[in-house]
Amino acid sequence: MQSWRRRKSLWLALSASWLLLVLLGGFSLLRLALPPRPRPGAPQGWPRWLDAELLQSFSQAGELPEDAASPQAPHGGSCNWGACFDTSKCRGDGLKVFVYPASGPISETHHRILASIEGSRFHTFSPAGACLLLLLSLDAQTGECSSMPLQWNRGRNHLVLRLHPAPCPKTFQLGQAMVAEASPTVDSFRPGFDVALPFLPEAHPLRGGAPGQLQQHSPQPGIALLALEEERGGWRTADTGSSACPWDARCEQDPGPGQTQRGETLPNATFCLISGHRPEAASRFLQALQAGCIPVLLSPRWELPFSEVIDWTKAAIVADERLPLQVLAALQEMSPARVLALRQQTQFLWDAYFSSVEKVIHTTLEVIQDRIFGTSAHPSLLWNSPPGALLALSTFSTSPQDFPFYHLQQGSRPEGRFSALIWVGPPGQPPLKLIQAVAGSQHCAQILVLWSNERPLPSSWPETAMPLTVIDGHRKVSDRFFPYSTIRTDAILSLDARSSLSTSEVDFAFVVWQSFPERMVGFLTSSHFWDEAHGGWGYTAERTNEFSMVLTTAAFYHRYYHTLFTHSLPKALRTLADEAPTCVDVLMNFLVAAVTKLPPIKVPYGKQRQEAAPLASGGPGPRPKPQAPAPNCVNQIAAAFGHMPLLSSRLRLDPVLFKDPVSVQRKKYRSLEKP
Amino acid sequence: MSCASGPGGGLRHPLRCREPWDEECEKEAVCVIMCASVKYNIRGPALIPRMKTKHRIYYITLFSIVLLGLIATGMFQFWPHSIESSNDWNVEKRSVRDVPVVRLPADSPIPERGDLSCRMHTCFDVYRCGFNPKNKIKVYIYALKKYVDDFGVPVSNTISREYNELLTAISDSDYYTDDINRACLFVPSIDVLNQNTLRIKETAQALAQLSRWDRGTNHLLFNMLPGGPPDYNTALDVPRDRALLAGGGFSTWTYRQGYDVSIPVYSPLSAEVDLPEKGPGPRRYFLISSQVGLHPEYREDLEALQVKHGESVLVLDKCTNLSEGGLSIRKRCHKHQVFDYPQVLQEATFCVVLRGARLGQAILSDVLQAGCVPVVIADSYILPFSEVLDWKRASVVVPEEKMSDVYSILQSIPQRQIEEMQRQARWFWEAYFQSIKAIALATLQIINDRIYPYAAISYEEWNDPPAVKWGSVSNPLFLPLIPPQSQGFTAIVLTYDRVESLFRVITEVSKVPSLSKLLVVWNNQNKNPPEDSLWPKIRVPLKVVRTAENKLSNRFFPYDEIETEAVLAIDDDIIMLTSDELQFGYEVWREFPDRLVGYPGRLHLWDHEMNKWKYESEWTNEVSMVLTGAAFYHKYFNYLYTYKMPGDIKNWVDAHMNCEDIAMNFLVANVTGKAVIKVTPRKKFKCPECTAIDGLSLDQTHMVERSECINKFASVFGTMPLKVVEHRADPVLYKDDFPEKLKSFPNIGSL
Repeated sequence: MQSWRRRKSLWLALSASWLLLVLLGGFSLLRLALPPRPRPGAPQGWPRWLDAELLQSFSQAGELPEDAASPQAPHGGSCNWGACFDTSKCRGDGLKVFVYPASGPISETHHRILASIEGSRFHTFSPAGACLLLLLSLDAQTGECSSMPLQWNRGRNHLVLRLHPAPCPKTFQLGQAMVAEASPTVDSFRPGFDVALPFLPEAHPLRGGAPGQLQQHSPQPGIALLALEEERGGWRTADTGSSACPWDARCEQDPGPGQTQRGETLPNATFCLISGHRPEAASRFLQALQAGCIPVLLSPRWELPFSEVIDWTKAAIVADERLPLQVLAALQEMSPARVLALRQQTQFLWDAYFSSVEKVIHTTLEVIQDRIFGTSAHPSLLWNSPPGALLALSTFSTSPQDFPFYHLQQGSRPEGRFSALIWVGPPGQPPLKLIQAVAGSQHCAQILVLWSNERPLPSSWPETAMPLTVIDGHRKVSDRFFPYSTIRTDAILSLDARSSLSTSEVDFAFVVWQSFPERMVGFLTSSHFWDEAHGGWGYTAERTNEFSMVLTTAAFYHRYYHTLFTHSLPKALRTLADEAPTCVDVLMNFLVAAVTKLPPIKVPYGKQRQEAAPLASGGPGPRPKPQAPAPNCVNQIAAAFGHMPLLSSRLRLDPVLFKDPVSVQRKKYRSLEKP
Repeated sequence: MSCASGPGGGLRHPLRCREPWDEECEKEAVCVIMCASVKYNIRGPALIPRMKTKHRIYYITLFSIVLLGLIATGMFQFWPHSIESSNDWNVEKRSVRDVPVVRLPADSPIPERGDLSCRMHTCFDVYRCGFNPKNKIKVYIYALKKYVDDFGVPVSNTISREYNELLTAISDSDYYTDDINRACLFVPSIDVLNQNTLRIKETAQALAQLSRWDRGTNHLLFNMLPGGPPDYNTALDVPRDRALLAGGGFSTWTYRQGYDVSIPVYSPLSAEVDLPEKGPGPRRYFLISSQVGLHPEYREDLEALQVKHGESVLVLDKCTNLSEGGLSIRKRCHKHQVFDYPQVLQEATFCVVLRGARLGQAILSDVLQAGCVPVVIADSYILPFSEVLDWKRASVVVPEEKMSDVYSILQSIPQRQIEEMQRQARWFWEAYFQSIKAIALATLQIINDRIYPYAAISYEEWNDPPAVKWGSVSNPLFLPLIPPQSQGFTAIVLTYDRVESLFRVITEVSKVPSLSKLLVVWNNQNKNPPEDSLWPKIRVPLKVVRTAENKLSNRFFPYDEIETEAVLAIDDDIIMLTSDELQFGYEVWREFPDRLVGYPGRLHLWDHEMNKWKYESEWTNEVSMVLTGAAFYHKYFNYLYTYKMPGDIKNWVDAHMNCEDIAMNFLVANVTGKAVIKVTPRKKFKCPECTAIDGLSLDQTHMVERSECINKFASVFGTMPLKVVEHRADPVLYKDDFPEKLKSFPNIGSL
C-alpha cells in the first residue's frame, strides 16, 4: 500500500514534470514555427529591409553635368554682404568711416554718437577715402528726417544708424544700405548684413558708464528666483514656490507674500523674465544685464543685440512663451554651475559692449570690420570671454594663445622667456650695470635699448651673451610703449636706464609674471586715492599698506599692452603722456586695469635702493626724489576713461621662504634678502 | 557573498536587511532559499533504494530524461535570447518592393507653398513636445508606402539608400518613438533627398495625406539636392506648407533663420574611400580645384590663377581619355596627368568649393575629409549647420567677384591659423559630415536645442575638437571681480569632542574683524554638543550643525547656513593663527576669489625611482597645495566637493579618514586651472596641547598614506591638475623697514 502510494506520488511527480516539459518545449517550438511578430510594447522601429543593400543612392554620378548650369547669382529681394558691400574700398587702412554732418540742430544722443565716432580710430573726414559711410537717422523728437545724402550711390557701403526703432517714415529707399537699428524685428532683419543694436535709454552715458551691479559671483542666499516687469517700468520679484504661473494674468489677482520690492529700477533676482514686445522688452533686457539678473526672454520677436558675434546662449535664456511650466521648472532645476556662468557672462557683456554709447558704437564698427577682415576677424572666443573684442585687437593676432587672457581656455602657457626693453632718456648714460644684471637672468631672451636722448649713440656696448638691439631716434615718451617688431617674446621687462635691479629680483619677478600673464608685475608702487578736500583724485608714491599702480620703469607685462597702448588709446591721451612724461606710468596702469579689472602685482625689491629710488621716468635732468605726477594727470586720464579703473591691492608676492628663519642654503632667491 | 554570513559583517552594518531595497540584503535572501532547497534535495536518493532494481533503473532513466528535457528547455528559453538580436525578432524581414501601395487621386489636396515667415514660435506646435521627458524631443517616422497616381505610375523611387540609412539612424537613436500621439516631430518616409527623382505635385499630394500632416506642422523633410533645371531653386520646390526643411544648399533668400536647418550634401565617397587623417602643415599644392563641370567662366578664372602662380595651384578636370567606367568619377586630370580623387585633396592646403547651379556641393564633404581648408565661393550660400558651427574656424569664404584675388587672400593667413583650420576641417567632417547618421543626429540636436534652450549644447561642445576640449579649462568663477570687504566670511569649524580647544578657536576667530558668522559642524553622533549657555559669547551669530555620520566630507558640505561667498575652513585645534593673519588671509582671498588661500603649503613631487607621485612637507621653495586645516575658499567649491567630485574620491576619503584637503586642492586646481595661494610664512600648525598632530604629520606611515592619496587622485582625475608656484602672499610692508604701528597687519605670526 505504502509502496503504491509512493509509486503514485512518484508517477504524479513524473507526469507533472512531463507536462511542464511539454508546455515549455511546445511553447518554444511554437515560437519557432510561427512567423516572428513584434512584441507589443517594445518600440517597433524602422524596418531593416532585406534589400537595403540594393537600394539606389540618392544622387547618381550621371547627374553631375546637370549641375553645370551658368553662373547666375541666386536672385532675391534683399541684400547680403557679398552682393551689396564693396570691400575693395576698405583695402589698405581697413575700416575708415565717414559720418554725414547733421543738417540742423541735433539732439544730445546724436551729439554723443558723433563725438564717439570722431574719437575712434576708424574715423575719417573724407568721404572719398572712407569705406563705410554712416548716416545717422535722427531722433523722432527733432522731427526732422534726413534726406538722401550726396554720396548715396544707391546706398552702397552705407550704414544707416537708428538708435531708436524706426523713428522716421521711410523718406527714401534704403537700397543697398545696411541698417544698424535698435532691436529690429526678426522679420525685417537681414542676418550677416544688418546690425542689431541694443535699445539705449535717453540718458545712456557717452563714456565709461555705470559698472555692472554684480557684487559677487554666486547669487545671494534667499534672493528671489524670478523678477517680473511691472506696468510702470519697474521690477517686482515673484514667489515661485507656490504659484505655478507667476507671469500668467490669472495669477496676478493673488499677489503672494513673496511679491515685494515693487518699483525697483534694477531687478534683484536670479532670473529676469522678459516678455512682450520691443522697445519695452529691449530696454528691460539691458537693465537685466546690468543688474546681473539672467534674462529669460519669452519668444522675442526682435533680434538680440550684436547677435552676429555675441553668443547669447551663454548669458540669456530664450524660451518659448507657450511652455511656461516647463520654463519655470527648468529655471528651478538649473544647476548652480550654469547659473554661476550665466550671471557672470551678463556682467562681462554689459561692461564690454553695452555700458556706454561709445562702446555700442565701437562694437558696431568692430562687427563691420570683422566682416571686412574675413579670416583675420576676431574668433568667437575673443568676442565671448573677458575682456571682449574691443580690448582684444584682432590686428594683433587671431590666435587666442598670443594674447595674455586666454591661456586657460586654450590649455597653453605663456612663454618661458622675456625681452628687456631699456629706455635711455636724458642724460643718456649707457646702462651698463643694468644690462649685465638683466643678461644674467636665465629667462632673458634679448635686450633692447631704446635710445631716446640728444646724445649720439655710443659706439660700443658691453659684451653679453644676449642679443642686444639698439633702437634709435624716438624722443616721445609714449614711444616707450610702441609695439616694436623686434620684440619677439610675450613678456617684456620694461626698464629705465636708471633702474637698478639684481638678477635674482628679475628671475623671481618673471616667474611670478608667468602665473599672472595678464597683469603688470612691478617692484615699485604708487597709489591713487579720493581727495575729499579737492574733490578729485590724488596720487601718492609714498609707501603705504596698499597700492594700485606699479611703476613701468621696472615692470614685467605682456607685449600685447604695447599694441593696445598705441592703437586703442585715444590720441589725446597719448599726447597728454608726451607732454607730461610722468603721466605715462599712470596711463599704462589705467589701461591694464581697465582691461583686466584687477590690480597689479608687487614683488619684493631690495631695501636700501628703495630710498635712493630709481623711479624717475622721463623729464630732463637727474632728480633727487621721484617726482610725483601732477594729481591733475590722474584726474585727466580718469575723465577720458569715463571711470576710475584702478583697483587697490594689499599684498606682495614673495618667494615661499622669504626672510624666514631657515637656512639660507634652502632658499632659491637668497640674494633677494641681502641687506 | 557567501551563504554563511560572518558576524563581523553584521557588526559593521547592523542595519543591513532591514531595508528591503538594499541590494546586499536581497542577495542574502536569495542565498537562504538556495540553501533550503539543497537541504530538501538530500531526501531524494533515500527514496529510491527501497524499490526493485528493475524499477529503479526505469525510474532513474525516466527522471533523467525529464531532467535533461527540463535543462534543455531552460537553456532554450534563456540562451537564444541573448544571441538573437532584438532586430531580427521584433522587426519584420521584408523587401522594399513589398510595401503597401497608396493610390493618389489626381484631385487630392496639395499643401500651400512654404511660408517664408515661419518661425519656431509661429509655425511650430511646441505643445506636442510637452510630454517629452529629459529635454529630448520625440520623433515619429511614418511607415514606408509606395505612392502611385491614378494610372499606377509611381510618384518617385520608393526610397534611396541614404534616406533608408537616415531613417534607420533616427529609429536607433534616443529621439525615436513609435507612439504617434507622443511624438513632437514627424518624419515622413517619403524620400525627397533629391528633387530630380520625384514628381513635385504628386509628392506634395502624398505629403498632404499623411495622417498627422495638419498643414505640415512639426513635420521635418530632408532634402540635399533642391531645385531643378533651368533655374535651380535653392530650396525644395515641393509645396510643404509649414513643414521644417533640413536642406542642403539654402541661400539667404530661402533659408528661414531659426526654423530651417542647413545640412550638408552627403558625399557617398565618404563611405567608399578611407582617407586616413593627415597631420596639419604645409602640403604640396597651396590651392587645388578638383570640381568637374564648372562653368567655363569660373574655369577660366581658375586657370588664370594657375598660370600666374605656377606649381602651387592645381586645376583639375574630368578625364576625357579614360575609358568609360564606374571609376571615372574617382579620377581627375590635369592635361595628361591623372590623379586619384579624392586622395589628391590631401595634397593641398586649400581646396576650392565653387558653386554649380546648386549652392550646396558634395565636394565640401570630400574636402573636409581630406583635412583641406575649403575655400567656399558661393555667394549667399548658407553653410551646413551654420546655426551652430563656426565656419570661420574651418573655412575661407570668398565673394564670387573676388575670385581673382583668392590667392592673395589665402596667402595673408598666418601658417598657424591655417593649421588650426586644417584640424578643424577634419574634425567637422568626423563629427557632422562623415555619415548620414551624423547628419541626421546633428539636425535633430539643433531642433532639440531650439525647443529646450536651457538644456542646449554650447558653442564649445559643437565646435571644439576633442583635443581642445580636454586641454582647456573653463574656470567657473571667470569674471574678474573683487567682492566687497563688507560681505565678510563664514568660519566653519569641524569638531568631534575637543570642546575646550574648540571654544578657544571660536574665541580667537571671533576677533577677526571680517568674520560674519561662525558655523560649528558637530561630527560626534554619540555625544550632544554643550548646552547653549556654555558656548563663548561672541559678536557674530554662532550656529551648530549636527551631522548624521562622522565623515570628513561634512566639512565641505554646502550648508544653507553659509551666507557669504567666502568660507574659512578651520580645524578645532588651530589656535595659533593671529587675528591679523586671518584677516589678511581674507583680504588675499578677495583678490583671488577663485583660489584656495591657505597657510601652510605642501608640495607634490615626481619620484623618479618609484615612478609615482610623492607628498612633500619639507620646507621647499615651491608650493602646490595648502592645508585646509585653515583655508579660505569660495563656497561654490563646497557644492563641487559634495556633488561633483570625480570618481569615488569622496567615499575613499571618508573611508580612509584622511586626505580631504588634498582632494579639495585637486578639485579646485582641476576646475580653475590655477595654483593655490599660500599666505604668510606659516609652515605648520603647531599647538601646545596637540603635539600628536605634528607627530602624526612626521610619521612615516602618514607620509606614505598622503602620497598614496595623491597617486590615487591623479589616476581618478586622469591628470595631475596641481600647479606649482614659487610665491606666497605677504602684506605689502611685511618685514620692510617701516614703523610697525603704521602697518595694517603687524602681527603676522611666525613659522
